[in-house]
Formats: sequence, C-alpha cells, structure tokens
Amino acid sequence: MSAIIRIDVALREAVATPYPHLVTRPTGVAVRHRVLAVLRDSSDDDAQLDFSQVGLMDFSCADEVIAKLLVEILDLPLQRLMLRGVHENHADAIEHALVRYDLVVVALLMESAELSLLGAAPEDWRAAFRALTRIGRAPAPPVANALSWTVPRTVSALEGLARRRCVLAYPDATFELGAVA
Amino acid sequence: MTRVVPVPQHLNHLSVDQLAAGIGPWPPAQRLLVDAHATEWSSPAGFVALLTLGQALAELAAPKPELTLPAKANVTSYWAKAGLLRHAEELFDLHGRVPKRAAAETSDVLVPVTIIRNAADVTEVVNRITVHATRILTEELELDAKVIGGFGQSLSEMCQNIVEHAGTAGWVAVHVYVYRKRLSGRKVGVIAVSDAGIGFRRSLEATQGKRLGDRWNDAQAIETALIHGISRFRDPGRGQGLTGTKRYLARWEGKISIRSGTARVALVPAWDDEAPRTEGLPWFPGSQVTIVIPGKEPAT
Repeated sequence: MSAIIRIDVALREAVATPYPHLVTRPTGVAVRHRVLAVLRDSSDDDAQLDFSQVGLMDFSCADEVIAKLLVEILDLPLQRLMLRGVHENHADAIEHALVRYDLVVVALLMESAELSLLGAAPEDWRAAFRALTRIGRAPAPPVANALSWTVPRTVSALEGLARRRCVLAYPDATFELGAVA
Repeated sequence: MTRVVPVPQHLNHLSVDQLAAGIGPWPPAQRLLVDAHATEWSSPAGFVALLTLGQALAELAAPKPELTLPAKANVTSYWAKAGLLRHAEELFDLHGRVPKRAAAETSDVLVPVTIIRNAADVTEVVNRITVHATRILTEELELDAKVIGGFGQSLSEMCQNIVEHAGTAGWVAVHVYVYRKRLSGRKVGVIAVSDAGIGFRRSLEATQGKRLGDRWNDAQAIETALIHGISRFRDPGRGQGLTGTKRYLARWEGKISIRSGTARVALVPAWDDEAPRTEGLPWFPGSQVTIVIPGKEPAT
C-alpha cells in the first residue's frame, strides 16, 4: 500500500498561512516535521508526496522539505518514497537541493506520464531506471539485455536505486518502479 | 549643524556610491539632510537604499534625518506610487509636497517598497509576485512559466537573507522597466533588496575570516557567499539561496550585483558592462542586492 501525503495540506496544518507557497526555511522545517510525523505513523511501505496543489517552492524549502526529509527517513522501514504533481519550478529547486547531498528521488512531473529521477543519479542509474520503466517488474538479466550491459553492472545500478528507495527490490531478485496512484 | 547629502540626479544601484560618499564618516557627527530636490529618477535599488540609510540612522539613535523630496511633482508622485514615501515618513522628516497618492501595484511597480522583518513578510511578498506579477511578466516581458518561477524563487531567497543574516529588518521592491541603451529597448524585471544589517563581511567573519587572514575584506566576503556558495551555517543545505539564484540567472542571461560595506561584486551577463568586482567604495550600511532578468528579445 502507498501512503499519499498532500503537501499543500501538510503546509496548512503546519503553518498558519493562507498561501499555497512553500517558501522560507522555517516553513520548510515545519512542513518536514509534519510529513515525518505522518510517515512515522504510517504502516505503508511506500509513500508518495503530492505537490500538485503547491504554488511556488524556493530553494530553501526544497532543502528542508525534500533533501533533509530523505536523510531523516533513513531509519524508517519505507521501501520507496516518490514525489508526484511536481511542477517545473519545483523540479529545478529539488534537483538543486538534492545534488548538494548526493541524493536522488523519483518524481512524476506535472503533465508527464513517465517517472523521472531528480538529484544526483549516475548515468547508469538513469539508464537502468528508464529500462525498468519500459520493462516493468523484472530481474537484472532482461534489463541488462535491453541495455546491452553485463549483469553485474545492471545489478549494481538497480541495487543503487533500491538503496536510495527509487525502485522496489523484491526477495526474488526482481525490481520494479512500483505503483503510481 | 546639518550635513547635506546630495542624492544623484539618477539614483540606481551604482550611483548609490555617490549617495554613500556624501554621508562622510560613520556614524555621522551631524544631522543629515538627504537632498533629492534635483533627483529625476530612481530605480528600486535607489528607493531601498534611501530607506536603509534612514533605518541605519534610526538604529544608531542618531537625530532623525531630513529628506528633501524631488522638486518635480511627477517624480514625487512616482515615489509615492512606488511605496517609498509611506516608509520614508517614518524614518525622515520630509520637506516638500507629499502627494496623497497611495502605493500601488501597477504594470511597472510589481511590488511597491515593502519592509521585510520575518518569514511571514517574505511569504506575503512572494504571494504578491505570483498573484499580481505573473500576468505582467508573461505578457509584457514575455517570460515563460519557468522563468517566472525562478524569479519568485530568487525573490524569496534574497528576502530570506535579510531575515537570516542581517540581524535587522530590510526592504524589497520589484519593478519592470525598459533598458533602452544596454538591451535596445528590452524590458527587464528588477528585484532590489537592501538591509541595514551587519553586512557580508561580519556575517561570515567567524567561519571564513581566519582562513583568509589579511585578505579578508568586503569583496572577499561577498565572493565567498556568491561565487563559492558558502554560508555562515555549517549545515550543507545552507547557501543554496544564492547558488540557486546564480544558476537561474546564468540560464536566463540575468544579472546579480551585490554591494556590502565598501565593495560590490557582480555576475555580469554579456549584455552589461558592470565591473565584476569593485573595491574601495564609500562605505554604506548593510547589504544591497540587485537582480535583473531581461524579458524576451522583441521580434525584429
């Protein structure tokens, strides 16, 4: 199951603002704490943060809400965290923030049907991610075949993505992107 | 005794140097009379600098300075519309006819001069830009949504720097105007932010000053923040505001110019000829940041 957390709702609950904008560091800290509380209480192993109703997001909030959240949830039993409803200006700010921490996250951008990676992802990870998008749930060999790579290289990329909670890794050594609700 | 500080005929982020030169030693030994009677035009950077001077004097508990308003009625009227006079009334004894006109958001004044004291003020200003200015930035500057988003992000970050680093309140104004010479008539969006706070050098001194020893000065401090993205906080996420803004400006041929203390450092696009680093300027309180984003090139 996937927990869907609307960031505009978290914003309204965390700070008394009539505006839909994620701006200023104190706002970002308050929203991160709110989201973190929801994730800690959740029994789901998959979470989606929905930004579709958020207006502007500045660089400081991208740092506080996304980058620091990814660091702070390392101890949670979450298998995947995904962003959705991400506007173009959000994506720029998020990418900028994540690169500084060497972090990466999966995002579904507005007006896009395909998932993408935002942040510091090596090119191998990006290629493996795109291949998995086309193939669906699969073990490493078909992905390696699609990319004309060796299996160890493919496993390394897929496991890297799974460690960063960008793909789901199953006990039967298969990987998949997971549901996009 | 009173010291007269002439305001340049055209007051902008560069001619603030002339204003600073007129102030003399700081803190001033005499009451200041800031004389703008011959001033014919001011950029938003000029407006926020004037208020910063008044605020710095107020924080010193110096005698309230005087401000002689421009002699030309249309200039004073514009100063009222741009939101300068309602704040200037609190910081200066005004001389000259004060128009009744209220501050207003118009097609050229996207954000009238506004005080920034806390995070709530920043959010308010950002909301004003997204609600009021988006149409103007889209239709008049023909900027696409991505550029406008970055404009709002940069505005937010520059205002936050006041709250987080200055140690006191500051001012912001956002205007649209035409660059006739430098950009052959293209319109630009201009964000001007100024505060009367501790400045870049003092803000970064504790963490960076020792490392640079006697090379540590105002210009070095601005470059440390702007070029190297270093903040006084050890948190790796800090310093993102200026670096994110810098990246945005580089992508869209924008410009940023920062003055603090006795130095000014600018990241200059090809269309402009401002010096990238100027030292030995007359001292002026706090920090002043000017950001310029050019509109779309008109079809020929």
